[in-house]
Amino acid sequence: MMEKLFDEYRGLSDKKIRPHEPKSEQFLKAFKELLDKKNNWTFLLPLKLTLEACTHCGTCAEACPVYIGSEREKIYSPVYRADILRRIYKKHFTFSGKIFGRLIGAKEINEQDVNALAEAAYRCTICRRCVLACPFGLDNGLVMREARKILAELNIVPDELKEEGVENQIMYGSAPKIPYEALMNILDFVKSEIEENRKNINVEVPVDKVGAKYLIINNAGDYLSFLDTIRGIVEIMNYVNEDWTFNSSRTGVFDNVNYGLFYSDKDMVRVIKAHLETFKKLKPEYVVIGECGHAYDVLGHLMKDLIPPEERPFKVIHIVELYDKLLREGKLKLDKNKNTKPVTFHDSCKIGRCGGIYEEPRRVITASCKDFREMYPNRELNYCCGGGGGFALMSKYNFLDFRMKTYGKLKVQQVKDTGSSTLITICANCKRQFLDMVSYYNLNINVSGLSEIVANALVY
Amino acid sequence: MYEYSLFIIGIMMPYLTLIVFGVALIYNFFKWMFLPRPVMWAIFPAKENIVSIFLTIAKRIFSLPGPMKFDKLIFTLAWMFHIGLIVSLSLHAKYILLPHLPFEYEMGSIAGLLAAIGSFGFIIRRYYDKRAESYFADYFALILLIVTLLLGTYIRILKLIDPTQLWSWVQGILSLSPTLPPTNTLFLIHLFFAQIYMMYLPFKTLIHPIAIFYGQKVILDKRHLVEE
Repeated sequence: MMEKLFDEYRGLSDKKIRPHEPKSEQFLKAFKELLDKKNNWTFLLPLKLTLEACTHCGTCAEACPVYIGSEREKIYSPVYRADILRRIYKKHFTFSGKIFGRLIGAKEINEQDVNALAEAAYRCTICRRCVLACPFGLDNGLVMREARKILAELNIVPDELKEEGVENQIMYGSAPKIPYEALMNILDFVKSEIEENRKNINVEVPVDKVGAKYLIINNAGDYLSFLDTIRGIVEIMNYVNEDWTFNSSRTGVFDNVNYGLFYSDKDMVRVIKAHLETFKKLKPEYVVIGECGHAYDVLGHLMKDLIPPEERPFKVIHIVELYDKLLREGKLKLDKNKNTKPVTFHDSCKIGRCGGIYEEPRRVITASCKDFREMYPNRELNYCCGGGGGFALMSKYNFLDFRMKTYGKLKVQQVKDTGSSTLITICANCKRQFLDMVSYYNLNINVSGLSEIVANALVY
Repeated sequence: MYEYSLFIIGIMMPYLTLIVFGVALIYNFFKWMFLPRPVMWAIFPAKENIVSIFLTIAKRIFSLPGPMKFDKLIFTLAWMFHIGLIVSLSLHAKYILLPHLPFEYEMGSIAGLLAAIGSFGFIIRRYYDKRAESYFADYFALILLIVTLLLGTYIRILKLIDPTQLWSWVQGILSLSPTLPPTNTLFLIHLFFAQIYMMYLPFKTLIHPIAIFYGQKVILDKRHLVEE
């Protein structure tokens, strides 16, 4: 039984947090560096602005899925979580905080606060729904992300993200360490299955093809847990007869994820650079991000500000944008009568709110399914599923209970209200969270990617 | 003693207030302007042109879409407070140009009352709200404001000050030939608190309108707009 540091749950082990080891000084040193222009080359302005300009009005709480899902527990409101860091900031890094102290909410750092923050930073999926509520556009979700950066300097990062995530990915080409032979076997199996189901068609699964128009890079988890999605992609790409390829560990990184986004700028850029090395070898015209949300956020958006244009001579699109394009060009012929059961769609935070993709999946789904039902709220106001920020990978200790009893509870109700039997999402982390929800709450709902739904609707 | 107070509150403090307020405001604005933002982590949907970006920012400032969607109480209080304050301040600022306006007392009284009720609502909400901690500084700003607003409203309702007298005093301050302000004690207390608040404002509350320009940006991106 691990001791309570922030709430009744634990996402990180005692070995990782080291609750009885003094860390305050190291924390302040890392915090100081975070506030320096040279060290914080990503989000210094929105971080400082949110730390200084928040009035604690609490409006953001009503936008936060974990706060609502927890029956409105104060400790889960975005402003409460961010205040743990904000109070330390005021005391140690502002003139007024040094003079007026507690009168303005400044507080001397102590070991309990550092330990509490180590867990609190992992009670927010950084879905950034709270930004929409703030009258001033402040970003308490970003504050939690930056807190994770400080903690990472103290080596407080969940193993699922760092050791089993980023490090595996860079070393082996994918976070789940899929060997080349295993990947080839999986793809052979996919090929033979499609050929068996769709008689009279010859299926090609190009891998590591140099100069292809579309390089489709998937979340490696899909090869292991969501093979229907991979099968869907292969079938669709064969159907449209485009010049495309997957890649493997032989050309570098073949896993599109970038868990660095969730805890460290340095690791985020390490992964981006590993991706760039791979793309340089394969020379595609388009890098197509398979069904993954945060990978699209990093490669589709953040990379534009981090890497000069000459080092990324390709376009980045999400696979749903490709389907939408092919559909509008008339290359994808779909029959919605092949998918008659009611379906709903979950807008993943990193694809919608942080990525701008709202209408593309809706156009593709309404062309593929007879009975599409929106969940409410949707688009930029949609609730996070609870798998974001790295949470879908974190189930140790009692963290699964946290995911299910807060975010999960809210999301289950939202999905149930649609009356749909299938839930479509285009992000692997969301899929994993939904699968956990189905099993935790014993739901009779089919969780699906979009690719398999589209493939099923193809008109031959 | 009374004359000293008149001199300090009515002649010295206005210049001090203008300097502190102006310098702090400019400092705050430029402090954020020069802070680097190398990476934009935008919130979508994006806008397709500059005009719609300006319209969105204007909407954020005037119609408070976030609070309207997520917290109707703070939305209502914020509207009462801001409308009341804007009308009140405009009726003060008019002394730069003219001494009197029709229905000035009536408009000023209603606006002052509206702003005071809004501020009082903020305090009550803070006290009972379980979503966020409030600190002394949060209450201090609101209490100072309520006292100032209520005194100003009382002065207007009872018409305790002649607008022409006030106009002469403001003109004197602006032309750098200051004269003593009206000698009503309530007015002097109102003036004192108002000036304290104005000097405090740029360090606390006035960061917020600035934050709208530097917070999460409304971005220009045509990529995901619906193609009809």
